Amino acid sequence: MPGTEPEPHARSQSLRWRLLRAVFATALLVWGLNAILSYTQARHEAEELMDGHLAQAARLLLALVRDNESHLEDLAARLATVRSQERHRYESPLEFQVGRADGSLLLRSAHAPAKSLAAAPGYDDMTHAGHPWRVLTIASTSGDYRVQVAQSIDLRDHTALEVARRTVLPIALISPALLLLLYYSVRRALKPLDELAADVASRSPENLRPLAQNAAPLEARPLVSALNRLFGRLDDTLANERRFTADAAHELRTPLAVVRIQAQVAQLSRNADDRQHALQQILLGADRATRVLEQLLRLARLDPLDGLPHPAEVDLAELAERVLSDARHAAADRCIALERSDDRLLLSGDAELLAIALRNLLDNALRYTPPATTIRVIAARQDGELTFGVIDDGPGVPPAELPRLVERFYRGSAARAEGSGLGLAIAQRVAELHAARFELENLPGGGFAAHLRWPRPPTA
Amino acid sequence: MRILLVEDDDLLGDGIRAGLKLADYAVDWVRDGEAARLALLDHAYQACVLDLGLPKRDGLWLLKDLRERGNPLPVLILTARDSSADKIAGLDAGADDYLTKPFDLFELQARLRALIRRAGGSATPRLEHAGVVLEPASKRVSRDGQPVTLSAREFALLLDLLSHKNHIRTRAQLEESLYAWGEETGSNTVEVYIHHLRKKLGAQFIRTVRGLGYRLGDPV
Repeated sequence: MPGTEPEPHARSQSLRWRLLRAVFATALLVWGLNAILSYTQARHEAEELMDGHLAQAARLLLALVRDNESHLEDLAARLATVRSQERHRYESPLEFQVGRADGSLLLRSAHAPAKSLAAAPGYDDMTHAGHPWRVLTIASTSGDYRVQVAQSIDLRDHTALEVARRTVLPIALISPALLLLLYYSVRRALKPLDELAADVASRSPENLRPLAQNAAPLEARPLVSALNRLFGRLDDTLANERRFTADAAHELRTPLAVVRIQAQVAQLSRNADDRQHALQQILLGADRATRVLEQLLRLARLDPLDGLPHPAEVDLAELAERVLSDARHAAADRCIALERSDDRLLLSGDAELLAIALRNLLDNALRYTPPATTIRVIAARQDGELTFGVIDDGPGVPPAELPRLVERFYRGSAARAEGSGLGLAIAQRVAELHAARFELENLPGGGFAAHLRWPRPPTA
Repeated sequence: MRILLVEDDDLLGDGIRAGLKLADYAVDWVRDGEAARLALLDHAYQACVLDLGLPKRDGLWLLKDLRERGNPLPVLILTARDSSADKIAGLDAGADDYLTKPFDLFELQARLRALIRRAGGSATPRLEHAGVVLEPASKRVSRDGQPVTLSAREFALLLDLLSHKNHIRTRAQLEESLYAWGEETGSNTVEVYIHHLRKKLGAQFIRTVRGLGYRLGDPV
């Protein structure tokens, strides 16, 4: 099968790819949002924890300062020793300042600024020595001491990052497996579509049996039933074509058989008259084959049309006159009359096709009626309808054969097979293309009428 | 040898009739199944060439009717359809052979010869009696190895007698076999041809059965 190579845009059109892409993108988005959310949440929690820790430390320091008011220098030295010991990983460097309400500095940790910081009580973020710090300033209830403790913010961020990482990492680790699972699920879910495609692809053009409706997924069933309807129509069309081809072959074989056998007769005849007769028959056979072919081709050209390719204004009365004058030439011994209205009978149509239709109707009347029959070509307004056709006062057609007359290659029982068997089928097709009714009827007083009729003729 | 041709197509019927006449068959040509049925009831034919697509009564109906009446007449059907369905239906309805249009005249003649020969109970294409040999395909006749020249009617008469070896053939039967409808027959033409044949093939070759007709003489 050609065309299985992916085209440049095949992937963007593939349902599987679109599904996979959407699912992957959603999964990644959820994962990313989860990471960001965990991080901010953790940071917030860490900040609260740290603030609580700062508050505790500040109050503790304030209590220590008050208890040791008399020897604050000793306290500073003792506090400095605490720091030298090995630290817990969450025990961040805690810096502090203790001062009086007037702003004088009483004691401070080693890395705290030497100058007293005049800050309002409460939490604040600041930068010191190139690092961000969280600072809490509180004052004693009496108001004579002020304590400021600070802790590096790095810890908070570090903690938040750690929490976020712990939340997100497992997901990141299982996500390849998750994606693989998604991929296979999507593939599996779309497999019935692949099978459907394979079923259709593996069919031969002759196999137009309907697809199994139940095997297809629910979403694909409208497609399957549409395909089945298409198959049904195709099957009908193909059957028609096959029948038409067989009929066409049949129609051409008989004149060919004539040509062949008469040619052999001409070769073998010792008598000059017999030879002349056989040669004459060959010509008639060739004429018949030509006529069949012409009509076949005409029908083949008319068949696929949905409407007239170039409709133009046609005067039916004038057209009938023209067809009749051609026919009079060919059938000089027959009695043919024209009944046309005096004014113009205008409609929008194809003059060439309408002439062919009328010629076929006239041809039939000439071919299938006895020589003494009167034939009338009609182009007139009758009972408010535009009427275009042929009437004869011949024997008519057996009623049982009437509906079959327009069948391709059907000939009535009286026919001697000189016609192509397609004349009425062509006339009917021309009528269809001109939105006319095509009527074949035996007349009550004897005779036969073949008409194209328009209640409301299409205007140009 | 008289053949019934059933063909509704004027041009083709005319061609087949002319072609069979060239092979010295007497050909009756009818154009529909009903006329064919009547002709088969009234006349004795050696074979029938039947087109399947006929007006009034179609070819298959005619075949079935013929076989139901127990008539073993060899029938060759003509079909314009390529599909085997038509041929199978024809053969099953009682046809002995078929040809698809367009066909070769010589092939039609050869198939008819074979059908007629088999219907006469002979598998060999040569008819032989008392030193006289007739080859239908090449239309050669010899007596004791010496070629004998016969006219078309004499040949047809000899062929008829050789095809009905152990039967007495009445004058009417022989006339039917020699002439198609509308062909003029003299009152004593069969006697004239019998006389010619006796002169060319020997007086004892054909015996007269008094009051009944003619039959071949005893083998030498």
